[in-house]
Amino acid sequence: MPRIVREADVAWEGTVSRGAGIVRAASSAAFALPVTVASRVGDPEGKTSPEELLAAAHATCFVTSLGSELARAGTPPDRLTVHCTITMDEVEGVGHRIVSSAISARGVAPGADAASFAQAAEAADAGCPFSALIKGSATVTVEAKLEGGTDG
Amino acid sequence: MADRTANVTWSGSLTEGDGTIESVGSGAFGPLDVTWATRAEDSNGLTSPEELIAAAHAACFSMALSHGLANAGTPPDRLETSATVTFVPGTGITKSALAVRGTVPGMDEGAFLEAATAARENCPVSKALAAVPEITLEATLA
Repeated sequence: MPRIVREADVAWEGTVSRGAGIVRAASSAAFALPVTVASRVGDPEGKTSPEELLAAAHATCFVTSLGSELARAGTPPDRLTVHCTITMDEVEGVGHRIVSSAISARGVAPGADAASFAQAAEAADAGCPFSALIKGSATVTVEAKLEGGTDG
Repeated sequence: MADRTANVTWSGSLTEGDGTIESVGSGAFGPLDVTWATRAEDSNGLTSPEELIAAAHAACFSMALSHGLANAGTPPDRLETSATVTFVPGTGITKSALAVRGTVPGMDEGAFLEAATAARENCPVSKALAAVPEITLEATLA
């Protein structure tokens, strides 16, 4: 398989406490968003942050893996919804660390049952490159539930 | 403690289906469409997990570097950072390449590289991406 390369850039002005940056999706131009430190660690006030971008990355990575696993099992999903929460905490002695990523998945997949859906979610967690990566440093939890399934 | 959230939906199989980053907790972006084809091939204007990781890494690194420079008594006027994330299907995310160009009054190249190296080591996203085989850095003064 070919290498896939994606680029983003940031222009930052000033110090951390009073400065601000703009983060831009350089490959796709899909977004250009302001970021500040205050809105990263405190109330977001409508601004994104590195952790929110990671939550979006993990949710997107996981949802494509889950769709792929369900299709492989012969039960492609009509619809999947994935919610991801990334938590950054102040760890004593080392400063801020991303400590966990919690995935919650809901799906409608004709022909799937609760057990096969749970199995697909487990395989998706194992197969999603972002899950694999962040497990090295943070706790990843996956909670998955089939909606309107044959036994659920 | 800071919790940040995102909601994504998907319909259909991997190659023929499509998804949407419906919303994020801050409300700063979404909906943004995503597909496998635009993740794996030409982006065609759609974002992808790898681009979002690149955005997270570039933003986190910039904040850490700005913080380090200010602590050293040489706050930056401006930092321009890019992060390039490489994903090899079947292998995983293999690289994040950081490049920064700074306008920092009173600073020389060596000290800037040192500060940038510390930011690469210590920013929370670098720590979260510690399992990535290669995190490279180029740092120059404007």
